[in-house]
Amino acid sequence: MTAIVEAEKLQKTFALGFFRKKVRAVEDVSFTVEKNEIFGFLGPNGAGKTTTLKMLMGLIFPSRGQARIFGRPVSERAVKQRLGFLPENPYFYDYLSGIELLDLMGHLFGLRRAERRRRARALIERVGLGRAGDLALRKYSKGMLQRLGIAQALINEPELVVLDEPMSGLDPIGRKEIRDLVVELKHEGKTVLFSTHILSDVELVCDRVAIVVGGRMRDVGPLKQLLSPRLIDTELVLEKDGALEPVRLPPDADVDAAVKEALAAGKKIVSVAPRKESLEDLFVREVDSADVGGGAERVKLKGRDKDKAS
Amino acid sequence: MSRIAALALNTFREAVRNKVLYILLMFALLLLALTYFFSQGALHEQLRVIRDVGLVGIEVIGALIAIFIGVNLVYKELDRKTVFALIPKPIHRWEFVLGKYLGMLVTLAVLMAIMAVTLFAVLWLGAQVFGGDNDNGTVLRAILLVFGEVAVITAVAVLFSSFSSPILSGALTLGIFVVGHFTPELRELIAKVESTPLRVFLRGAVRLFPDLHLFYVSGSMVGGQVVSVHGSYIDWSYVALAGGYGALYGACAIVLAMLIFSRRDFV
Repeated sequence: MTAIVEAEKLQKTFALGFFRKKVRAVEDVSFTVEKNEIFGFLGPNGAGKTTTLKMLMGLIFPSRGQARIFGRPVSERAVKQRLGFLPENPYFYDYLSGIELLDLMGHLFGLRRAERRRRARALIERVGLGRAGDLALRKYSKGMLQRLGIAQALINEPELVVLDEPMSGLDPIGRKEIRDLVVELKHEGKTVLFSTHILSDVELVCDRVAIVVGGRMRDVGPLKQLLSPRLIDTELVLEKDGALEPVRLPPDADVDAAVKEALAAGKKIVSVAPRKESLEDLFVREVDSADVGGGAERVKLKGRDKDKAS
Repeated sequence: MSRIAALALNTFREAVRNKVLYILLMFALLLLALTYFFSQGALHEQLRVIRDVGLVGIEVIGALIAIFIGVNLVYKELDRKTVFALIPKPIHRWEFVLGKYLGMLVTLAVLMAIMAVTLFAVLWLGAQVFGGDNDNGTVLRAILLVFGEVAVITAVAVLFSSFSSPILSGALTLGIFVVGHFTPELRELIAKVESTPLRVFLRGAVRLFPDLHLFYVSGSMVGGQVVSVHGSYIDWSYVALAGGYGALYGACAIVLAMLIFSRRDFV
């Protein structure tokens, strides 16, 4: 398969504060994103997801390592022409309307006025902002700005769509709509890379997942391969006299015998559910092992410290 | 070019949708209108007063707008993170800075055109009421020189905006605006410094400041004679030369801003 995104040993060290204390936000992150897949970039807050994506988008210069998109350096205009990006918690010019913002973005891609307008109207509808397209952005809610952010990421009909926390600020219906949109993009032949700390978003749509904790890549691959096939336990839910009684049986327990024993005691069997490792279990496992083993520092950059970089 | 034009147009749009700009413009137009009344106390010199006060008013208001908007031009994009959505678009970082600056220049040109028309109207009214000759060509050359000065100040403000906060940028730009008007006097003072190394250093330092005195020469010596907007003034060739100096200085400031901006991490 052809790798659309190649990140090789990316590292980013920031110099923070008056004394320029060096803080390593991302260390030795390597991964690829293949054509036409949905790739989830998963990690807790401060793990380095946004810093990594910004290095891919040319917003931050890596201290070490390199990133290539479509086989070319990320800074090339020809590369940017083919990709769309949604930044985390997007901020736009609040004096523009939604249509005007999309028109501006389309103009930067070299689209002609009629085409810009056509695409802007279509995208406003597609992301569910049909009635708000002509409103000034200062009147948009956070969820509306998020939807508009996705629209501006699609104005150029990109081959690669990079979304940083695309579900942020959305209600459950909005989140489902965006997940559906992500799957639609894949069906249209696009490649999608998105970062999130919400496990269910990854479980529902991603082909492959990378888990980053403490600035380091912990795991990368198809979800089924990352999850251990080992049985963790078996949950038995029994009922007697209207009361539910959950029972957890260890992995080496004789489940048949436990069921027979429950029935003999006059209990009803509500469910028998063998539990294997879930993404949440994997995630917690990776975070716990990162805390024990150490790694790049968890950094949540804010304020003036953001302007210092090495 | 289309991308730079898009960014310039967006900057212009931002300016014209900024209420503070309208307040400053209204203040300027009011001041210009009031020059008619100020002039009534000046016997036989009414047009002179209107020209002087009007041109100074245009210069000061133009400089204030240039500083106020210029120091926020790049900083606001970083502070409000609007740059995060723009830089990944197929534009070079230098195009971003240039587009912002050109948009600002267009804004200033429109504002100064409005102020110029108002001044011409007040001068025409004054000439009708008080009599006297009014040479619009002289006033136009003076206004064009003011525009050149404001363009230089804007470039300096944008340069500071690319790496500093608005307050510090504003203070530095204002300082340069003031020092820039006194470059001939500074050169005279430096010439009296006894220590040669210090004199050489100070001469070099003064050259870094823009010579804004070139843009407001009424009452000064140019080419061996005193020029004035009320009589014999500079000609179009001087306007072109001063404009060329302003363009060169402004270009240097903007190129430096581009270089700084091109190496920034947007965190």
